[in-house]
Amino acid sequence: MLNKIIVAVQKSDFDLNAEMENLKLKTEKAGAVVFFVGKVRDLEDDNLKYLEIESFEELAKIQIKEICNDAANKWDLEYILVKHRFGRLKINDNIVLVITSSKHRKNAYEASEFIMEYLKSNVPFWKKEVADKTQKWVENS
Amino acid sequence: MGKVKLKYFSRIRETIGKTSELVEIKSTNIQDLIEELQAMGEQYSVLKGRDFAVYSAVDQNIVTDVKTSIEGATEIAFFPPMTGG
Repeated sequence: MLNKIIVAVQKSDFDLNAEMENLKLKTEKAGAVVFFVGKVRDLEDDNLKYLEIESFEELAKIQIKEICNDAANKWDLEYILVKHRFGRLKINDNIVLVITSSKHRKNAYEASEFIMEYLKSNVPFWKKEVADKTQKWVENS
Repeated sequence: MGKVKLKYFSRIRETIGKTSELVEIKSTNIQDLIEELQAMGEQYSVLKGRDFAVYSAVDQNIVTDVKTSIEGATEIAFFPPMTGG
């Protein structure tokens, strides 16, 4: 059972270089590291002022831990980290970080996608886009 | 049943106008609770899910069946479809 699972639901940003250095200390047997970063993007037909992310923090942590455990059971992984932000974010601000690490790249790639797919619609976060002309809650496409 | 903490998120929080409240309830499942809450005001009709799906979590377990028992629960949350990532 993989015990290198790190989960955080936080307001603050994350530091990609620091995360990489921290991972290196714990994954000497891994040759592959996949970083996925979701960031705030501008809208097609309006100018985004900010994105407000609301979260049910306690439940979000439970749901993320569960999917990380599922991924650890499904793939041979050395390390999993998921950090998801909430609060008011501007264009290009980081939203979510998923790091998966394994001996070879295939497991890390597949686990990363699996975790992200789950985060999209099974973890209690809600995004509201506040733009020049409109403001609306984001719906899953 | 007794007093339960109800929590509301996102569009449901905006419609009901509060993030949480402590309410004395009689219902023993989610479906009956949603009916019961209607008596507290028109704004609670958002929980019927006409405009979007309404999810609930009982003591931080997401439930998919509205007939799920809420007996002994201390916290029930209502929220629209999740949009993380």
